[in-house]
Amino acid sequence: MYLLTVLGHRVLQTMATVVFVAVLIFALMHMLPGDPAQAMLGDRGTTEAIAQLHHELGLDRPIPVQFWEFLRRILTLNLGESVAMRIPVTLLIADRLPNTLLLTAMAGVLALLIAVPLAFLAALRQGGWADAIIRGFSQLSLSMPVFYVGLILLITLAAGLRWFPVGGIGSGFVEDLYYLFLPSLTLALSFSAILLRNLRSSLVEVLHAEFVSFATAKGLRRRVVLGRHVLRNASISTVTLLGLHTSSLVGGAVITETVFGIPGVGRLMVDSIFSRDYAVVQGLTMVLCVLVSVVLLAVDALQALLDPRIST
Amino acid sequence: MQRRTFLTVTLLAATGVPARAATRGGTLVYGRQTDCIYLDPVHTAQNADIWVSLNLYDTLTQPTNDGKGVAPGLASSWEVSQDGKAMTFRLRPNLKFADGSPLTADDVKWSLERAANKATGGQFQFLLASITGVDAAGDGTVTLHLSHPDPAMLQALATFNAGIVPSKLIMAEPGATLDDKSKSFAQHPVGSGPFTLKSWGRNSEMVLTRNPHYWKQGADGQPLPYLDSVRYVIVPDDATRILKLKAGEIDAAEFIPYSRVAELKADPRLNMVLFPAAQVNYFTLNNRPTLKDGTKNPLNDVRVRQALNHATDKEALIQVVTYGIGTPEQSFMPMSTPLSYGTGPLYPYDMNKAKALLAQSEWAKGFEITLYTIAGNADDVAKATALQQMWAPLGVRLKVQQMESATRLAHYNGADFQMLTSLWTNDINDPNEIASLFCYYPTIQNRHSGWDDPVIDKLFEDSQQELDPARRAAQYKEIQERHFAAAPIIYGYEVPYPVAMAKKVKDFVQIPLGNNLFAGTYLSP
Repeated sequence: MYLLTVLGHRVLQTMATVVFVAVLIFALMHMLPGDPAQAMLGDRGTTEAIAQLHHELGLDRPIPVQFWEFLRRILTLNLGESVAMRIPVTLLIADRLPNTLLLTAMAGVLALLIAVPLAFLAALRQGGWADAIIRGFSQLSLSMPVFYVGLILLITLAAGLRWFPVGGIGSGFVEDLYYLFLPSLTLALSFSAILLRNLRSSLVEVLHAEFVSFATAKGLRRRVVLGRHVLRNASISTVTLLGLHTSSLVGGAVITETVFGIPGVGRLMVDSIFSRDYAVVQGLTMVLCVLVSVVLLAVDALQALLDPRIST
Repeated sequence: MQRRTFLTVTLLAATGVPARAATRGGTLVYGRQTDCIYLDPVHTAQNADIWVSLNLYDTLTQPTNDGKGVAPGLASSWEVSQDGKAMTFRLRPNLKFADGSPLTADDVKWSLERAANKATGGQFQFLLASITGVDAAGDGTVTLHLSHPDPAMLQALATFNAGIVPSKLIMAEPGATLDDKSKSFAQHPVGSGPFTLKSWGRNSEMVLTRNPHYWKQGADGQPLPYLDSVRYVIVPDDATRILKLKAGEIDAAEFIPYSRVAELKADPRLNMVLFPAAQVNYFTLNNRPTLKDGTKNPLNDVRVRQALNHATDKEALIQVVTYGIGTPEQSFMPMSTPLSYGTGPLYPYDMNKAKALLAQSEWAKGFEITLYTIAGNADDVAKATALQQMWAPLGVRLKVQQMESATRLAHYNGADFQMLTSLWTNDINDPNEIASLFCYYPTIQNRHSGWDDPVIDKLFEDSQQELDPARRAAQYKEIQERHFAAAPIIYGYEVPYPVAMAKKVKDFVQIPLGNNLFAGTYLSP
């Protein structure tokens, strides 16, 4: 029951955040120099043409009126129409969001698949050569820029060995998984390094805790001790990290999407900021804000499950 | 005869080998840097749209592959009235749109009137602005009525925004206004070009399939195009696009970085082509006596501008930025522009002359200039660094400020800048577009430089109505000479379009205006 109250609070907080972000993004976009009309006309737009396009796009109306229009639209879940492409923003986002979500999810799963076993290995062989190699690996993948890792993977595994396609996206879910493997791996490498380092140190700490010695003394099998007691306790901070970094994973997707030529929301966002396509930037920010809030909410819930003390 | 010329030019431009029988069928996969945004011929200003447009929407006249002339298109012939104010075009018989519906004189009238009308014609309406009305006769002729004789009209009719659209289909679209109907039509366009849009996954891929009703015939006497389809794949990253080409996933890749042209030329599996482009790189200067912040502007003095031009080593700039691929500017307009005039590189590098010129001005002790570049643009970084070094001996300190492009554009439109890196590409095979923006003050104060030459303004206005080619050429010669003397910009260099293709791709053409022409392209077995 108490858990529900906590979650209820968090949902309200999330809604407040979304409204705040809406106001912020509107203000920021309109404070930026330049506007969609100028961006569309490029460097050959006459003053007259710019004024005419301003009028057609409704940009000559007072800012409060435009803001009210924007608020009214989001309240009715209408994100408006792209200025440049002249199609509904919801359609644009619906087209690309699945690609970015799949990319992010795959990267998260891959990162866990890399991080958890390696963290265990490193923690159990603390100070040994395996630990040294694993820590070296994490240092290396943390320090390499995403676009560089992406290119190296493309050159070796895709263009060289032909195991994977050189970027792009497939048709259908199964093919998408195949096409998105390298980009996810690119994102997962640096992400797994962060997780790995965090989980390793938590594991080391927990392994030395008294309750672990007790559980071992009780005669529990090693697998049970590690799985039920050590991992569960060590993973609390890692879950927090996972949640926090999911949002930055979406950010990292911008570069990955560009290098691998994936039509996702990251690229849409950057292109739209450059062309000052207000409706797309605002709509996309709202959607991403809701998504990140949901992830954080899920993390909170998961933490409460892992450690009952958190909800009290 | 016309066709023969067309084929020869195509082959020379694309492969340099003599003509041989083209193979029919197959799909060409073409790697693009950016996707189209909007597919209505009159409602776009983006190169990404313009360069595809002629494949979808055919025009009354067509550009020739060398970028200088026009050839018959939907119209097989035309006549100009004695006073030059009426042009009558005869349409080819049995023209059809890609959906099989007939293309009539009424469609031509509707399309051109929409494109020439200020309210509905979009940003390139000015190219057709002299059209006051269009008459469609039942016998397949169309007469354009002009407000004044227009020497550029035949070229304007070969430009993307004069593409003929099916009026009945547009008017049958949902929506209350013409704008709404056009918007709906642009999502699934139908034209009469060699290809038609089959599918479009935005920012992913666009598939064009052959239009079975296209009028033009190939060398084998059958209708063009040879290809079954063209698949545009969007790969924004240059390195990835090249990798895809090398891996055989795509057949051609555009916008090859200059730094990699030599490498791809050496690849025996590829054909690295540099298509001549109507494109110039230069630097825009603010010529006003004072800048927006009130400070005195040395660039107002013509001797200072000339000195800076002489102090700019164009050959070195070309080596540094384009790895030797460009050629120095001979006029402010690309040399592929009709009526361009040049006798050699402008302001050859001469530091002594530069110093002497500067010494005559009140800025002999040197000064500081702020250059706005586009953030993250590697070419701009190279240009700025080179200029900093070249101008240092003059005592000119070049301060570089990187800016995101929309922000920079706002500075440009507000004339709030001192110097900018700039790039220009022609959209029409006539000098009037570039001249109206570069040296006809009323358009946009000569690229917002604030420089004005009333003599040029008058020459330009006269040339816009001058039907005598020799007199018009003389007017343009004088315009270009006066521009050169005043040096309102830092002259730079011309660059081609670098496209790398698999060896099997034959006869692909990118004309100097940038348009991708796939009508005569084929894949050799």
